[in-house]
Amino acid sequence: MNLRFIIFICSGIFLYACVQPPVFKGDGFALVRSNYPIVKVNGKAVEPLYKLDIEAGENTLVIVYNTYQYDYDCTFSWSAVTNTVYEVTDQENKYPLTLYRWVRTNSLWASRLDPLDPLECVRKPRRGNVAAE
Amino acid sequence: MIDTVRLTLFIRYLLVLAVNVGVASVSNAAPLPGLSSLSDSVVRESAIAFVNTTTSPGLEGATLTVDDGNRQSEQWRSSLGFAAEFTLKNHIYNGYWGLAVVGGSLNDKVVLTGDDGQPVTLDMTRDVVALSGSFGLSYPVNQHFKLRPYLSLSVSDLQTEGIVDGLLTTAPSGNATTTVEFNSGAQMLSTTGSIDALYSRWFGDNRLELSAHYHLIYTDSFSEDNPVLVTDAWNDVLQLKSRYSGPTRLSSIGRPWRWQLYANHVNFLSQDNLSLGYTSLFEFGAGMEWQMNIKPLDWFGWQMVGLKAGVITSSNVEGYFLGLTAR
Repeated sequence: MNLRFIIFICSGIFLYACVQPPVFKGDGFALVRSNYPIVKVNGKAVEPLYKLDIEAGENTLVIVYNTYQYDYDCTFSWSAVTNTVYEVTDQENKYPLTLYRWVRTNSLWASRLDPLDPLECVRKPRRGNVAAE
Repeated sequence: MIDTVRLTLFIRYLLVLAVNVGVASVSNAAPLPGLSSLSDSVVRESAIAFVNTTTSPGLEGATLTVDDGNRQSEQWRSSLGFAAEFTLKNHIYNGYWGLAVVGGSLNDKVVLTGDDGQPVTLDMTRDVVALSGSFGLSYPVNQHFKLRPYLSLSVSDLQTEGIVDGLLTTAPSGNATTTVEFNSGAQMLSTTGSIDALYSRWFGDNRLELSAHYHLIYTDSFSEDNPVLVTDAWNDVLQLKSRYSGPTRLSSIGRPWRWQLYANHVNFLSQDNLSLGYTSLFEFGAGMEWQMNIKPLDWFGWQMVGLKAGVITSSNVEGYFLGLTAR
């Protein structure tokens, strides 16, 4: 009986922990999570980042999709909403990367909504140092 | 003629190695009258071919009918599984994983001519249930082309039941009979090394996908009641797949639907035609996919769920596919 109770509690904790509610820097901020390195924020070059707090409003990010032959510098520009999570990933769409609005549906899964294509993806010879294979 | 002889040998071995005897009893050591000398390889190849055609990575659900005169068989396979890539940050390559539960069944009816010229009928049913897991890497060469090597492990439980009619033998009661029943089981551990080459390109809102998949399969088989199936074997499978998809005006819960057409070819390169009656299949079909785009456990993306229907054809083979797809 006790063992069942412990398993039940542990399962509940595990399931609750699967998709955690996002934590924001504060009011007026949104969160960007990227599977690929963010190298430029509103025109300023930054060290490669995968998670970034941005101010709500117009933002422009350059995110690099790395391949063995080329790097693709993809530029996203959109109006970020406060207390919103955005996620950039590759889903083999028209452009190498797509920006989604990430919404925690429940503790088991999240939804990717409102896909946004980059303004452009510029193909460049592979840099080699942005991502080390 | 050669096929007939090999099938005869195949039946004899099944009989000799039978464990549970229904109408007549067969000893492991005693050869059956009216049949030629034995061939282990046919029995092994047939069992392993069935498991491989059911559990090979990348194969989807299907129902097949083989009819080549002396042989009529029905085979189906179905799987419930999912495979996806996951991002490895700070690396160009991505990870790849997959899990699947696979089930399949084969009812094989073969009419043979015994050594004395009499017709001998084999009616055999095989069932397999397998659990398979895959893990590997995905190397994007450029935006359109990637290579994906991965390793799969699968554990299969194979059960075989059969009735042979037309051979004169002796039942436990001492009476003469012409019917022998048998059944046996085997567990198979398969290790598959695969490499996928995947190409895709967009034309407006339409997408073309082409891919080639090569699987090298090592199967280790264990059986407590059929010594012939205590064996191991190497096999290889080549798949060529193509898919063309486009947008529709339909949407559900704010998510769009896309149509798709596909054509696939699978060639079981090292499989003998005698094992199952075919060595390659062509599949053509169409379907609809719903872009649900969720992220289970906030870990991997689940983009599409859809419905697909198609026909399967090859020499002496007809079949169809109707089922759900997820990717």
